[in-house]
Amino acid sequence: MLRQPLSRALTLSSPVRAAPLAARPYSAAPPPPEKFEVFIDDKPVQVAPGTTILQAAAQVGVEIPRFCYHERLAVAGNCRMCLVEIEKSPKPAAACAMPVMKGMRIKTNSDLTRKAREGVMEFLLVNHPLDCPICDQGGECDLQDQSMAFGSDRSRFTDIHFSGKRAVEDKDVGPLIKTIMTRCIHCTRCIRFASEVAGVDDFGTTGRGSDMQVGTYVEKMFLSELSGNIIDLCPVGALTSKPYSFAARPWETRRIDSVDVLDPLGSNIVVATRTNEVLRILPRTNEEINEEWLSDKSRFACDGLKRQRLVTPMMKDSRGNLVPVEWEDAMVAAARALRDCPPGKLLAVAGDLADAESLVALKDLVNRLGSENTCTEQYFPLDGAGIDLRSSYLCNTKIANVEDSDFVLLIGTNTRLEAPLLNARIRKAFIHKDTDVAYIGPKVDLTYEYMHVGDSASIVKDLASGSSSHEVLKRLESAQRPVVILGADQLKTPEGPALLAYTQELALRLQDKLQDKNWKVLNVLQRTASQVAALDIGYQPGVGKALADGPQVVYLLGADSGVVSRDQLPKGAVVIYQGHHGDAGAAMADIVLPGAAYTEKRATYVNAEGRAQQTLVAVTPPGKAREDWKILRALSEVIGERLPYDNLDEVRDRLSQISPALVTYGDVQANNYFAQARTLAQSLQKPVSGKLDVKLKQLEDFFMTDTISRASPTMAKCVQAVIKQKQSKY
Amino acid sequence: MVVGRAATKAVRPLLSKEFCEARRRAIGLYRAFYRYIPYILTFYDITKNEEDMRWKLREYFYKNACITDVRVIDLLVIKGYCELKEVTNQWQQKGHMMRHWSPTIERKPTDFLGKFYAGID
Repeated sequence: MLRQPLSRALTLSSPVRAAPLAARPYSAAPPPPEKFEVFIDDKPVQVAPGTTILQAAAQVGVEIPRFCYHERLAVAGNCRMCLVEIEKSPKPAAACAMPVMKGMRIKTNSDLTRKAREGVMEFLLVNHPLDCPICDQGGECDLQDQSMAFGSDRSRFTDIHFSGKRAVEDKDVGPLIKTIMTRCIHCTRCIRFASEVAGVDDFGTTGRGSDMQVGTYVEKMFLSELSGNIIDLCPVGALTSKPYSFAARPWETRRIDSVDVLDPLGSNIVVATRTNEVLRILPRTNEEINEEWLSDKSRFACDGLKRQRLVTPMMKDSRGNLVPVEWEDAMVAAARALRDCPPGKLLAVAGDLADAESLVALKDLVNRLGSENTCTEQYFPLDGAGIDLRSSYLCNTKIANVEDSDFVLLIGTNTRLEAPLLNARIRKAFIHKDTDVAYIGPKVDLTYEYMHVGDSASIVKDLASGSSSHEVLKRLESAQRPVVILGADQLKTPEGPALLAYTQELALRLQDKLQDKNWKVLNVLQRTASQVAALDIGYQPGVGKALADGPQVVYLLGADSGVVSRDQLPKGAVVIYQGHHGDAGAAMADIVLPGAAYTEKRATYVNAEGRAQQTLVAVTPPGKAREDWKILRALSEVIGERLPYDNLDEVRDRLSQISPALVTYGDVQANNYFAQARTLAQSLQKPVSGKLDVKLKQLEDFFMTDTISRASPTMAKCVQAVIKQKQSKY
Repeated sequence: MVVGRAATKAVRPLLSKEFCEARRRAIGLYRAFYRYIPYILTFYDITKNEEDMRWKLREYFYKNACITDVRVIDLLVIKGYCELKEVTNQWQQKGHMMRHWSPTIERKPTDFLGKFYAGID
């Protein structure tokens, strides 16, 4: 289908743009228009009206070369590479922008078409530098590939000694993207991405003809959390990755499919490695989660995997310094501490990046030692249904469905920085589907316009009880597919249970009235990649009570966010830290057991919507580091409480015993029992008076949130650059 | 109509025509080695006694005890006689002899904890 005009993006400030929702009731969707036949290279194909030639050709497997066209961006039609011949038409037409007409006969491989492509290619190459040998795009460059396939076999360019080729000054758009603007072919994909998907309308063109330049007008950093995607979008080497510059060629790297763990969405990634080193991380298309985008933290924090790593077991010596020891010594010391600990005084805390296998091994071990104190760092209220019903701590709408919604209510969550690709979905709905967004919380920039309802928790209460006089209530109630997203950070406060109860009440009141019975309204957006799996396995959210009991042995499984600190523990408490980065947790530990990061193990992670996915081994763990569940399994044997699994399959059998959802990779199980959760939450609806606050407010807060990104020099540069940009007058 | 072929195929025997004959040859080899054991200990200065040698011999024969293919047994018997000739003529050295006990090879750990410490998957 031909893309709708971007009325939303063009009239962002116009207050009248929201069409009344009653004008397009959900039930009265127009019937699909009748299809008609067109011929691509004499092959008949049935297409809907409004389809472009390029899409029709794709249906019969004919790929038309293109530079500017991209299926997720608006059609620009300015590269002219997709010119095709249409029978009875005097001149070739741009396939990406030309809608098909009934009985049209298109020739994608005729002499005229080929000549047109060759001509376009020649014009592009007249002003393109011949620097492929030093260009980072070499080997994955559309221009390179297409000039081989469609270009002329000889050059007519002789002007090299006279006026030479066009040269353009390079722009500085921040520490992530390197620009070599001479290579730019003006496809404007980056401009369209910035204004449509990223919502940071900084890019544009100046000049005309051979003076045309793509840039930011004034020297300015590209202040977006999705900026890395323009590197992938650029069909030539004009925009390349700064940290990856001159590092490797694509044919030298091994690519391993994996899953990102630095935000709760579990974006699908490809890890490119060479010589046992992670060189870069690219997005992998998954329409259900990240489409083909990736957030900057997930993409560029991979250099943090090489720094601050724990490579050998360590123990505190008599002077209180951590010294490297052998695995045997560390294991015996840890086993002794764990075995001698009274069961009630043992506390295990799981951190942000823990995988499901190690979580289940730790819980089994601690339970065998007689303790029930297995906690996560992130809090979640246990009152009411608590974590007993899976629906109350997941994003039940599912990420992909958010773009079909017609009204989104965000409660105390800055989705732009907490889950950038979810925010991109909301923005997509906002732009293409006329979805409206309301937001409760402190004012933040979400890249789209939203109704700011205020930042007080009592608004949620009023909305839930239906007593609010705000317009939002009316809009929510008239919406056919509303979505309510509650940030899990809000649940930490004493008013958290009440806030969750009100949100459940509101969401389920809306859900009960919907025509679409499968539509789920309630979403709780977790903050970390491990939380959902931990709650599924049965960890207690939050360490509060267990910590107050004065534990004698604390086992930190990658717990680095500072929830447990030395001064909260009684004197003489033993802290065992298992993890991959030397951060807050390792600094306070008596015994350090080095684990593997997410690129170094085959491990299960469950994302915010409850989708189990697995990472694969891209590189081996550094030094003496071992896979996490194996450390716990070995430790259990040293203690004398052997865990009954010896290999990954057996651990996963154990996972599936606990919850089959943990091993159905790629799928989301449907959640139910909303009504029961709502009933149990009735008694918690107490008056609330607090203000909602979000942790990540500005872009500079986004980059360094976990051990890997805190260890990453690129992320540190990003923070500096953003702060510097904020001080600049532009 | 397709003419069916015989399910089994007669093959040319290597030495023995039937299993009993092959077995007899194998026992002959065993006996030859067994009788030569005292001389091995005399000629090769190794730190093994007759008992060890007999156990090792027995071990090698029992390793192949399951073999029922006459041709394979014959082949192994021939190879055994080759080995015996190398020993009797002292073409094999002391090291060759000691290799049967492989004293310097470290066994790879097979239990979970051993593999964990050694860093083997």
